[in-house]
Amino acid sequence: MIAVLRTEFIKATWRLRTLLMVLGLVVLPVVIAVAIHSHSGNGERRGGGGGGGGLFTLSRSSGVLVPASVLAVFSGFLLVLVAGFIAGDSVAGDSSSGNLRYLLLRPVSRTRLLIAKMSVSLTLIWLSIVLVALTALIAGVALFGWNAIDVGRTSGTTLTSFHLSAGDLLVRVLITVAYVAFGFTALVGVGTFVSTLTDTPAGAVSAAVGIYIVSQVLDAITDLGSIRNALPTHYLDAWQTMFTQNTFSTDMRIGIIVQVAWMVVFGGAALWWFARKDIRS
Amino acid sequence: MSTQPAASTGLRLRLRPIPSVALVSQSIVEITSLTKKFKGVTAVDDLSFRVEPGQVCGLLGPNGAGKTTTLRMLVGLINPTAGSAKLFGQTVRPGAPELLRVGALVEQAAFAPNLSGMANLRLWWQAGGGRLADADLEGALAVAGLGDAVNRKVKGYSQGMKQRLGFARLLLARPDFLILDEPTNGLDPGEIKEIRELVRRISETGSSVLLSSHHLSEVEQTCSHVVVMDKGRLVTAGTVDSIISASGIVLIEVDDVDAATLVLSALPSVNGLTHEGNMLHITMTSGRRSDLVKQLVDAGVRVETVGASQSLEDAFLGLLDEGTSR
Repeated sequence: MIAVLRTEFIKATWRLRTLLMVLGLVVLPVVIAVAIHSHSGNGERRGGGGGGGGLFTLSRSSGVLVPASVLAVFSGFLLVLVAGFIAGDSVAGDSSSGNLRYLLLRPVSRTRLLIAKMSVSLTLIWLSIVLVALTALIAGVALFGWNAIDVGRTSGTTLTSFHLSAGDLLVRVLITVAYVAFGFTALVGVGTFVSTLTDTPAGAVSAAVGIYIVSQVLDAITDLGSIRNALPTHYLDAWQTMFTQNTFSTDMRIGIIVQVAWMVVFGGAALWWFARKDIRS
Repeated sequence: MSTQPAASTGLRLRLRPIPSVALVSQSIVEITSLTKKFKGVTAVDDLSFRVEPGQVCGLLGPNGAGKTTTLRMLVGLINPTAGSAKLFGQTVRPGAPELLRVGALVEQAAFAPNLSGMANLRLWWQAGGGRLADADLEGALAVAGLGDAVNRKVKGYSQGMKQRLGFARLLLARPDFLILDEPTNGLDPGEIKEIRELVRRISETGSSVLLSSHHLSEVEQTCSHVVVMDKGRLVTAGTVDSIISASGIVLIEVDDVDAATLVLSALPSVNGLTHEGNMLHITMTSGRRSDLVKQLVDAGVRVETVGASQSLEDAFLGLLDEGTSR
């Protein structure tokens, strides 16, 4: 298992497009940090919440919060693209290039190969998010400093505030990184499943990203009620209350369960189908 | 020039649905009633044949005959709809351990383009969990003959170089049996010559080979045995020589054409006879060439040379025509 994991990891990382993607993920957080720094006006984009203002506003008080702001922006679309690309391309990319048949002829067990591919996809997504957060942290601390913050929030008609030290912020940023990274588990399951259905990587990537976008659209339709709770994107922003409300929302725990459920269903479907599909590419 | 009616049925008499070319304990390949349907389209239809140890067997057929589908079922990439494909006596399943003894080149060789040839070989070998020290890296590279190019990125390789690297990869495990699916497809004439030479060198080491091709000259030059497929079905199988001679035209050079014509015309096994100079073109319905020679010699005709007039190409086209008209 370790052998095929290692092989798949080297193959996935040692590609020009992966390196370009990494470059983009390093540059963009810096650009966003500079943008926050340059615009002292209303910089809030997402992640509003309590009366203390959004993450962007808070980020001006402490650079430690910049990774959270950047992840709030990225997790809506850019990271979906990255994760969709990695997972969607995992099987279909090998299939279209012809590499898949030679791996299977080695022979490598199909189940083992697919588990390796899903593991590599998850690892790459985690690494991408850690890289984004790390770059944002360095840029943030350089521009805004390593500071504690006081966040105001409304409770009924009362305005209160809470204090978060730089150390508290760092711990919560680390939890954010882990939660956001874990939030792409469902996408890896869906993307890998779609990737086993086709020999066209672009089709698999589009389908995986498309499913996530549809999920976001459905999530915006409040009339759907509790059905929205089962959507893979519904709880993606649940971590933001750690910074805006000083609470660890139970939605985070539900979000993790939803991710696992999607992975079990679609990852299982991918394994089932891949074990018996005809390899014609 | 004298002419007699041409034979039309001689070939059919010699067709053998399931060849048993050699009597040995275990066939390397044993395909029995193999059938594959894709959404109602039958790609391989009730196919049966064997490959015995030491044979270099050509799988011959026009494009769309079902050769690649057959080979993919033989290595567990495609699941049969019915029938069975066995390697070394064991029914093939995806990832079957028997594949460790098989080196397969299925259509074009494929690699990770951003890695060097050597890195690709290493990665492929290690993906199976093997130690690189156990691979015949040196031998494989020597056969492939890539030289220093093996350390360059594969994306800079010509198609021929990729195919040679593909050969190196399949030789890493010192396979007992090679499956080569159209190994010269898409190559230029120089590269085709190199690959054919490579196959010849490999077969000389004693490995058995199953080589699919629609290039008749490739099979004729490389293979000892041939299985002919068309529209998913077996047309015939046997040694290359038997297929060629089964098409029935024999060339015999004699000193006295008139006397020879008289003798041969009287034989029931001769169905047609023409000549160019002293060379007789004889169409046989049955029997052996040696019988003709004996009859001529007994009649006092001096025989200078004996041979088959046809190439495998003529025989192959004849077989396909016959299959169509049936």
